[in-house]
This record gives sequence, C-alpha cells and structure tokens, in this order.
Amino acid sequence: MKILLMGNPNVGKSVFFNRLTGAKVTVSNYPGTTVDYSKGYMRLEDEDFEVIDVPGTFSLEPRDKAEEVAVKMFRENKDSVIIIVIDSVKLERGLYLALEIIEEGYPVIIALNMWDIAKRKNIQIDVEKLKDILGVPIIPTVAVSGKGIKKLASEIKRAFPADINKIVEMVGGIA
Amino acid sequence: MRKKLSEMGYGEEGMVKRIDESLRDQLAGMGIRVGKKLKMATKQPIKGPVVITVDKSSISLGLGIADKVLVEVEK
Repeated sequence: MKILLMGNPNVGKSVFFNRLTGAKVTVSNYPGTTVDYSKGYMRLEDEDFEVIDVPGTFSLEPRDKAEEVAVKMFRENKDSVIIIVIDSVKLERGLYLALEIIEEGYPVIIALNMWDIAKRKNIQIDVEKLKDILGVPIIPTVAVSGKGIKKLASEIKRAFPADINKIVEMVGGIA
Repeated sequence: MRKKLSEMGYGEEGMVKRIDESLRDQLAGMGIRVGKKLKMATKQPIKGPVVITVDKSSISLGLGIADKVLVEVEK
C-alpha cells in the first residue's frame, strides 16, 4: 500500500517523510523545496508501506510545474492513503486542499503540524470539533521534534474515506 | 473607501469585497476570499509583489493578481 504526503508548500511534508522513512530528504525553510517527488519505505506492524513525498500544492488545479507533479502523483495513485499535512497557523488554506482531497474519495489522515508555533501565536483550534465535522483522524503534530508522529503512524492502517455529503451537512450546506 | 489591493498603502487594513472570477479558486486555496480581513505588510518597488497578512500569516501576491482584488479599506 502507498502513503502520499500532501499539503500546501512549506508545511513540513518532507520532515514527515524523513521521520516516517528514516530517509534524509533535503528540508529547507522556503516553499517549493520539493519540486520532484521522493519515495521511501516504512514498516508498520510487519507490513511495508511505500511513502511518497509529494510537492506542495494549494489546490488540485495545478498552476505551476511542482503543482502539476503533485496532482499527477495524486491521480495516479488511487489506492493510496493520503496524509494531509496542514500548517496549523494557516489552517484555512490547508482545509481548502484537504476538502478537495476528501471529495475525491481517498482515505485520509490530517496532521495539524507546527502545533507549537500556533500555540505560541495564541491560535486555538478545536480539534475535537474539527474531527466531528470532517469525520477523519486529526492529529496535532510537531514534525521537527517528532511530537504526534507515532500517533499518526498508528492511524495509517485504519484510515478511511470521509463522507463529503456528511461534511456539507455538518457545516449547514454550501454557502 | 474601496481600492484595489495593489493600491493599498503600508499598514492599511481592509476587507476583501470582490475577486476577479478567474482568480477566485486560486486565491481561495491561499486563504483569501470575499469577507476576509487583510493587512498590507510590504510592497516591493518597481512592480514587485505585495505581501499581505491574512489570519496571522503572510502571503505574497504578484501585482497582476493584486490588481484584480477589490478591498474595502478601513479609515
């Protein structure tokens, strides 16, 4: 089975990749570091998973080369579990992409990364409520320190597609 | 007072009133939509990009895009 790491540019996908696979992919603090993709493997309860570090994208409608790669990877791997990495400080735009991915019917897990920075900026996110609305596992993480990674990995095998109609119902319809 | 995002001055704040149809999806993916509050953080000289603050995070936009966003600026 495959695991795709997806999210906006510069949210920490490659740090997750390194944490999950033990690889050493270049990580730097500016957007667009991953323009090609990296592949690695991780073992979960005696089962091997292929992990793909997808370039950052704002949406599933590509606007540049890196986004084209991202969307192509996404479309070509229909049987994958998607780990959606969101910068907790930039929740709204992360959720925009997350909903697009959920709409396509993939099993997803959401990582609210950079949780420590959001806290420092006094940004409060009601994780339980978000879980209720989206109906998928949501885990606050700090990828650079490893916080939440184990919990995230433990959810991979249990990931399932969310019901977009139920989400629409939960938020009271489409505006 | 309404002005284009590209015409806002340093430190000016306002609320997004209208976004050109062709850019609506693209900007929504960046957390900018009608009703959103924003602040002009930096303007680069000579037709350079603008940097705005939305929801405590910075976003840079090309002038071509900033031209197509209409903002109600607070006095």
